[in-house]
Amino acid sequence: MEERLYDLIFILRPDTPEADIDKVISTLEHAATEKGGKIDSVNKWGRKRMAYRVQKLREGYFVYMVIRSSHGEVVKELERRLKVSDPVIKYLTVRLDEELKRQDKLKRHRERRAARRPRKTAPPAPAMPGAEQAAAPTV
Amino acid sequence: MAEENAQQSYGGGGGGPRPSGPGGGPGGRPGGPAKRGKRNFVRKKKVCRFCVDKADFIDYKKAEILAPFIQERGKILPRRMTGTCARHQRWLTVAIKRAQNIALLPFAAEL
Repeated sequence: MEERLYDLIFILRPDTPEADIDKVISTLEHAATEKGGKIDSVNKWGRKRMAYRVQKLREGYFVYMVIRSSHGEVVKELERRLKVSDPVIKYLTVRLDEELKRQDKLKRHRERRAARRPRKTAPPAPAMPGAEQAAAPTV
Repeated sequence: MAEENAQQSYGGGGGGPRPSGPGGGPGGRPGGPAKRGKRNFVRKKKVCRFCVDKADFIDYKKAEILAPFIQERGKILPRRMTGTCARHQRWLTVAIKRAQNIALLPFAAEL
């Protein structure tokens, strides 16, 4: 099976100490590699205001990571861990590879089209003289 | 003046060339000839912002680019308000809903 690409964002309580945040991330990394996946990148967005209140909190510590795996077990395991983890208040996984594929396709399509007709710079002004002639007799 | 108005309405109906009025530039028509016949609204053509940017993908993580497309109460604005093309609106709604799920955008404004 081909490899799939996922986005995983999770939000931790804003009062989580830095050490705990790193611990959560490292356990996730561990779990992912154990199941045969791979974490491409981890990006801490830091404390941000959430758009609505979650568990009576207005702020959260956002962590964003990109995961690569060839089967869904990895995502299942990661989500299970996030669910049981205490400091995590919210998480979201999005599968991205299909959208990237579409993006690629559109890009290639556009490049082909651009290559096919570079000559087209049509003069768009043949209608105007006729219009002036039509107006002239009335005045 | 009256004859010129008639001429204009014919030209407008056919979608053909319109005689430009005295000194009237394109789009800068005075509201004068609105008395008779159909009213001529000059409406600014809205263009899809994502088409202008040639966007192949709308990122749900960038809340600041999605924010102009929701109302203050959190509703997604319809195409007729924003001028977004059908394809991009489709992508946009998905992106907005994802952003809502991870608390980057509100589902509904708080009181």
